[in-house]
Amino acid sequence: MNTLASFFTILIYPAGLTLILFGMFYEWIDRKLVARFQNRAGPRWFQPFADAVKLLAKEQIQPGIVNPYLFFALPIVAIAGASTAALYVPLMGFTPPSSFSGDLIVTLYLLSLPTMCVGLAGWNTSSRFSLIGATRALTQLFAYEAPFMLALLGPALVAGSWQIGEINEYAQTRWLILSQPIGFIVALIGLMGKLELPPFDAPEAETEIVAGALTEYSGRGLMMFKIGKSIELVVGLTLVSAFYLGGLSGIGSFLLKSVALLFLMSVMQTLFTRFRIDQTVGLWWRFGAILVLAQIVVIILWKGYMP
Amino acid sequence: MNIEQILQAAEKILEPWNKETLRPEANRVDIVMQADDLHAATVALHEAHWGYLSAITGMDLGVDSGQMEALYHFCSGPAIVSLRVRVPRENTSIPSIADILPPAIFFERELSETLGFKVAGLDESDRLFIPDDWPPDVYPLRADFSPEQATPVAEKHVEEIPEQGMLTGNTFVIPIGPQHPALKEPGHFQFTVDGEIVTGAKMRLGYAHRGIEKAAESRSWFQNLYLFERVCGICSHTHAMAYCMGVEKLAQVEAPPRAHAIRELVAGLERIHSHLLWLGVAAHEAGFDTLFMYSWRDRETVMNLLEQVTGNRVNYSANVLGGVKCDIGAEQAEKIKEGVDYLETRIRHYLEVVTTDAMFLNRTRGIGSITAAEAERFGLLGPTARASGLMRDVRIEAPYGAYVRYPVSLVTRTNGDLEARCEVRLEELLVSCFAIRAILDNMPDGPLTVRMPRKIPAGETISRVEAPRGELLYFIKSNGGENPARVHVRTPSLCNWVSVLEKAVGRQLADVPMLIAGMDPCFSCNDRLVSVVRPHGSEILSWTQLRKLGIEYYSR
Repeated sequence: MNTLASFFTILIYPAGLTLILFGMFYEWIDRKLVARFQNRAGPRWFQPFADAVKLLAKEQIQPGIVNPYLFFALPIVAIAGASTAALYVPLMGFTPPSSFSGDLIVTLYLLSLPTMCVGLAGWNTSSRFSLIGATRALTQLFAYEAPFMLALLGPALVAGSWQIGEINEYAQTRWLILSQPIGFIVALIGLMGKLELPPFDAPEAETEIVAGALTEYSGRGLMMFKIGKSIELVVGLTLVSAFYLGGLSGIGSFLLKSVALLFLMSVMQTLFTRFRIDQTVGLWWRFGAILVLAQIVVIILWKGYMP
Repeated sequence: MNIEQILQAAEKILEPWNKETLRPEANRVDIVMQADDLHAATVALHEAHWGYLSAITGMDLGVDSGQMEALYHFCSGPAIVSLRVRVPRENTSIPSIADILPPAIFFERELSETLGFKVAGLDESDRLFIPDDWPPDVYPLRADFSPEQATPVAEKHVEEIPEQGMLTGNTFVIPIGPQHPALKEPGHFQFTVDGEIVTGAKMRLGYAHRGIEKAAESRSWFQNLYLFERVCGICSHTHAMAYCMGVEKLAQVEAPPRAHAIRELVAGLERIHSHLLWLGVAAHEAGFDTLFMYSWRDRETVMNLLEQVTGNRVNYSANVLGGVKCDIGAEQAEKIKEGVDYLETRIRHYLEVVTTDAMFLNRTRGIGSITAAEAERFGLLGPTARASGLMRDVRIEAPYGAYVRYPVSLVTRTNGDLEARCEVRLEELLVSCFAIRAILDNMPDGPLTVRMPRKIPAGETISRVEAPRGELLYFIKSNGGENPARVHVRTPSLCNWVSVLEKAVGRQLADVPMLIAGMDPCFSCNDRLVSVVRPHGSEILSWTQLRKLGIEYYSR
């Protein structure tokens, strides 16, 4: 790969600009759908772009007692982590630009990076709201991370590969949602937890802790965290729809499947009341983890006895 | 038992301390006693389970008389017994009764901060109502107070949250308010948390002080109506109604039946608007925004009805002294019925949601449970008390105005948790819908107003009405002039605070906004007391100056 092509990959497509635009577009769909379900008008299509332009142009206020390097670096690391993860997934149905054996695990870790950054950011700003928010964000991370990973492990096991591209190809011949429904549900809800969408928005519950870990962030820093989250949304949707909804073979199937998934997520956001943090943890470890583990055991047994 | 027997029972209990018995009104007995006997008398009333402490009114009887008076109003059904304690202005020491009746702490703070009563054992190091930079030993409700005395003391201005309160070991203080997304009105709470568990709670009120009680003393009886309507933006009608009924009682004027019916009708509509607003806020605090959006959408229906009837959406201004301003014609009655029919179906739906939605119940069932005994001890009022199984509703206990002719039924639950409070409030709305229909079907004919005298005969009266949040008490005193001598307002929110502060400890931080919302606090109601200066400012601004400042600030 020559240098020019690398730059193109990183800055324009599939990472960089395209990813950001897609993220904002998906964010708009989510906001609009939730608003319509709640009997509101909802934002116009360019609202996320307008928010981005406005916030990026604004001054970033730095609290007096923070570590300034960390304060500026964390949003960048968050956005970089999410964008790097995008290199390994079949974005828009095309073959991932980068791929190696075991990239599934790397992608999952990269997707956790934004949450870790949010946690660190909350700890760094040492505002009381941020501290509680950071504690909650990290507590929640420990709750959903394992079940989410196990839920994506199911398709990997049946495909016999740890490479996202190969699993995607395998999944195109069969809809794994039919054979592994539990895994699909756990993966979908896990994604909502990862993105801190309602009802898993305890880390940023505004009625208790204002804006949670990001309370002290403003302007550019805040927007970068938000963009990181939008990218995470796109990557997460791509992963789950590639694994469970019959794979992604082209831009058409990508749009159709990921938007369908987003629709499902919006419905759940509308229907449910926020969980308290203890309820979130209880839900994941009492039901999510155990159910998905049971499914993994079944898959392993099935693979072992029926080669 | 009729009123007379209830009052005699109280008189018998209070016999040992009784110095003089007064009968200011048919349903009231005033027992004059020495300040030293107050504690013993309260214990006796409390142990005999005679009524509950409704309010403490403080009065300065003037420089000439050299005396101040504190009235401890105890209510039992329609009967009111006031313990009158007179103390010389130079030595205003009175004992505290907060050890027997916890809600008294708020009333005693009010006495101490606004009138300078020296309540034994009261912590005076910080303030609950008046600003922190208010000068010491200046009491705004005293007869000899003048605004010049209220020059702010700069060094008295204390930081709301000391920096060292931030991190001490594992516990730290979470400030909620005065500006916070969970609060729609300004109030300040400090919750000490250990991780997620609340270990301590403290509150500060007074951010929306407007000095209405003081202002009332310099306005005429008629002007005051508009002032008291503005005590609260949600239950403005009940405030105006309580004031009007009190003044009418003093003037011995009876409003015509049609006026009473319209008053109850507007009060019913106001209750629907208030409780639907509350439902939305509670749902939002729990993180269930869908219910919030839907209930507020439906609330628009009742807002439109109110606007149609009275011409206003917020301060309805339906009352005048001696009657009401607005009439209801046949066409309007039809529209109200239509609206109420629609609202009834929606309220039934919400009742189903709050009792069956598993996720919402996760956040309401078994949370903040208050037993009937605790509710009695905390002195709770309104729906919060009724959810704990306390039968406390002025509309039923002591029917006033049109509630005699169009009675409402009592709604209670026994669980006392947030779910029970949701149920009680919503079911009350169904009751209100029935009452509104009954009124519209049997509206009495006749005039809307009767003539009121400009000067109200000397006397004292207590007017109690059931606001959406509970019993609202107005104590009105006239010296026979064009202005009232003293108007004391005790709003229901003030009595319910104890429940939040007591119940928050030991709970998760995430439950705290729900607990605050659970009693439906109304900060503006609490904060009507006294303030001449801006809470944290250091200068007194006139209206023109303030306006100029605003224009300059925003043109920058």
